[in-house]
Amino acid sequence: MNTDKHGLKKNLLRHETILFVVLVAEWLFFDVIGHNFGTYDNTCDILRHYCEIGLLALAMTPIILTGGIDLSVASLLGLCAILFGKFWRDAGMPIPLAAACTIGVGALAGGLNATLISWLRLPPLIVTLGTYSLFRGLAEAITHGVDTFTDFPNSFLFLGQERWLGIPAQAFVFIIATIFFWLLVHRTTFGRSFRAIGFSPEGAHYAGIPLGRRVAMVYVLAGVVSAIAAIIYTARLGQAKADAGTGYELFAITAVVLGGTSIFGGVGSIHGTLLGVAAIAVLHSGIAHAVLPGEMAGMLTGLLLILALAGSILPKMISGLRARKSAPRLAKQIP
Amino acid sequence: MKKYFRELSVAAALGILLLALGIFAPSFFQPQPLLSLVTREAPTLVVACGMALVIICRQIDISVGSMFAVCSVCAGLLAAMHWPLALVLAASVLIGAVFGAFNGALVAGLGLPSIVVTLATMVTWREGLRWLRQGVWVDLPNDVQWFGLPQMAGQWTLVLVALTILILLALAMKHFSVGRFIYAVGSDAEAARLAGIRPRLLTFGVFVFMGALTGLAAMMNTIQSPQVDPNSGTGLELKTIAAVVVGGVAISGGRGTLWGVFAGLLLLACISPALTHLHVEAFWGKVIQGAIILLAVVADGLRTRKQRN
Amino acid sequence: MKKTFSLLLAMTVAVFSGCKQSAETPSGGNNTPAPAAKQLTIGFLPKSKGNAYFVSCAKGAQRAADELGDKLIVDGPTDPDPARQNEIVENWITLGVDVIAASCENKEGISTALRKAQAKGIKVVTYDADALPDARSFFVNQATSQGIGYALMDEAARLCDTNGEFAVITGSLTAGNQVAWRKYVEERRAAAYSNMKCDAVEACDDLKDKAQSETTALLSTYPNLKLILSTTSLGVPGAAEAIKQAGKTGVVKNIGLGLPNENKRYVHDGVTQGVILWKTEDLGYLTVYAADAVAKGALKSGDKMFKAGSLGEFEIQGDNIMLGKPFTFNKDNIDQFDF
Repeated sequence: MNTDKHGLKKNLLRHETILFVVLVAEWLFFDVIGHNFGTYDNTCDILRHYCEIGLLALAMTPIILTGGIDLSVASLLGLCAILFGKFWRDAGMPIPLAAACTIGVGALAGGLNATLISWLRLPPLIVTLGTYSLFRGLAEAITHGVDTFTDFPNSFLFLGQERWLGIPAQAFVFIIATIFFWLLVHRTTFGRSFRAIGFSPEGAHYAGIPLGRRVAMVYVLAGVVSAIAAIIYTARLGQAKADAGTGYELFAITAVVLGGTSIFGGVGSIHGTLLGVAAIAVLHSGIAHAVLPGEMAGMLTGLLLILALAGSILPKMISGLRARKSAPRLAKQIP
Repeated sequence: MKKYFRELSVAAALGILLLALGIFAPSFFQPQPLLSLVTREAPTLVVACGMALVIICRQIDISVGSMFAVCSVCAGLLAAMHWPLALVLAASVLIGAVFGAFNGALVAGLGLPSIVVTLATMVTWREGLRWLRQGVWVDLPNDVQWFGLPQMAGQWTLVLVALTILILLALAMKHFSVGRFIYAVGSDAEAARLAGIRPRLLTFGVFVFMGALTGLAAMMNTIQSPQVDPNSGTGLELKTIAAVVVGGVAISGGRGTLWGVFAGLLLLACISPALTHLHVEAFWGKVIQGAIILLAVVADGLRTRKQRN
Repeated sequence: MKKTFSLLLAMTVAVFSGCKQSAETPSGGNNTPAPAAKQLTIGFLPKSKGNAYFVSCAKGAQRAADELGDKLIVDGPTDPDPARQNEIVENWITLGVDVIAASCENKEGISTALRKAQAKGIKVVTYDADALPDARSFFVNQATSQGIGYALMDEAARLCDTNGEFAVITGSLTAGNQVAWRKYVEERRAAAYSNMKCDAVEACDDLKDKAQSETTALLSTYPNLKLILSTTSLGVPGAAEAIKQAGKTGVVKNIGLGLPNENKRYVHDGVTQGVILWKTEDLGYLTVYAADAVAKGALKSGDKMFKAGSLGEFEIQGDNIMLGKPFTFNKDNIDQFDF
């Protein structure tokens, strides 16, 4: 068990190192062929543009570690964004109170996922597929599709658009979130239990881990983080709309998997996720600054994802072939 | 009866919806619009059948929407070059199969997780198509629509093709060995392998088949109108997975029938026109769709809980 | 593992602090009036990439850029997330374009980014769909929202003999200018055609196939429907196909905003009575000329007329450069156009 764990950790580390190298290579490449890419201004912009996706990816990591998935995070972002606008504009709440209420709603929504997944033991993929439609639908229904919320006070917009102490204001939220999740996943018993649950739910159960509570925890956390991301998104854009964040869940999942977290759970890291988000962010920004067609960014992301997956499998395959052991098995069940 | 409880409950839900429509909005049941609705959904049914097979095999394919778009555009371009329609159909199916083979090779050959592989291929094909076409529609020659048949004949042809595929596949899943093998691999790939089935080859085949069916569906969609919109196929993966899940196919594999999928698809497809007929505003559609998916999966969960206890 | 992690962290910090020293100055965004031969970089932002309407605008834009000797960058969102346009504008700010010409999906949202651009000395003009007035110098207006809404309603009323029921197909429920057009359609109806009733508004998410299925449902829900009006170019052909398949050609009229090429077939078959639009290439052409002139200081606020290359003179109303009136493409003239 010890050597296995060590070997596995070594593999993961190698994946992250390679990803880091890829990231640096990307950066240097776009610095050369792009115009004004490697500037401080642009780095801040990249941070600002991908802050929300980064937050969602951070929240997605423990979920995927437990062997689950959450497709509803981006729809929840949209719902929270318009609710935030409604609390502030129509209910007349001051911004901090509206923000607190929004986070509360996010937690409740995450709680809905949590209840269905951990208490009723329903498959996360389908539950969150349902809530993916449900949350976005509620956002559209509440706003009748047309209502948007704007004219937020400048003190609020500061969060999304200005810099504090030289770095974008929302970066502070992101840094705090990163530290929180890193500690949670890598330094607490909660984090260890997530991996254990991902490796083998039965084993974790017999080891005395309270499965229901732990699994519920990660989905509620995701709900809270979605709400926070929604507030930052609204501040950045200066407008809250029902279709906010469309497509972000796929970005988040891509970043997490790119970072070396296995979609089946049990293996993964926060720093991997960070690298994954950075790799995608740098790619998109670089393509824009090199004045290349935007579709290339999407295609290269897909390619990068496949290479990352294949890369993590390859060493096992090679050693397997060498030892003439059994050929690669089919992947385990989907979450 | 108990064995098909799930499928029957979906059919019952569909029945209740139709009953409600019959009482409150009988205008729903006019023959021509109904035929148009069903014809529009025929390609989706074909794709849903393929998706059911993939999910029963304990995999998933979220790239069907992008495959569908690419096949539609290719079929449209070939038809616009005045290729004989039979060849265009063959080409569309072949292109779909090639995409499916790509997915299958990565999933079965390299053992990569299907959800991530198909996520990657979905993004890649979609962006690639956008780049090449830039949203420009394909104009089709006049004789392509409905295979040159009069409209009603064309519509009935498509509907019958979709139903035939459904019936053939449903029977094949039950009575042909390959169908039993798919259930076996979906239940427990390792046990299947030990029993002499070749799970990897089978999985590869399922993905190729999924791609081929998508190509067929793309052709079925292309001949329904005189132009091809490269954005067609948007949301197809959500639609078909929802239909499959609502229809009782377990996401963990090894369980479910195509009849349930048929009922599930009809139920979900009726939501949007039902809302229009009941004078309900359109944005409730997503809420209802989400609610139906959740209800279906909760019902499944409660049943398994009862069984476990 | 701890050691490797700190190594990773150290390298990250090194890379990112290294970029601080890189040159920051944008390529050509300065405020001093430049000599006429200077090559400008113009960022042309459509509402979405891969939309035939904007592809056509971009063609005209490219022609203008070639004539002026300017560099044109065309980039737009490929997915519906509202923040994408902001991201592109902000990328262009750091890239250092001279002027941005934008068609705005979210009026208020995009203004946030456009104001930033203006603060950095980048000029901003808008076309097709406006931003907030303080976020841009000029709006190249193909026709006022009121003009478009009224033209649609007037045409609808004319075809229905000012009496009857109609339904509206819109693109997405949230798109700013579509909301505005619907508002003016309704305003015109209430003021001038009180005998006409709008039965329903359905969204097709800018998908032709969805427009078709929505129209099919509308046709069977409202048996007295006389006309379908689409505020999106994706709606008209989809609705036309639905009307044709329902066998109601001529019974239910079909009009809307649309491109000639996508509708020629249906107009000739009598399914669609007409599509209203404007010369999209001219819009793009005029926009780039205006953008170029604003950047070079040749076009200033308070000007009453503007000359754009081979297209001639255009009237300026306030800060709106008027392209002209909306144009109706019908059986008699649709073949003359190719876009």
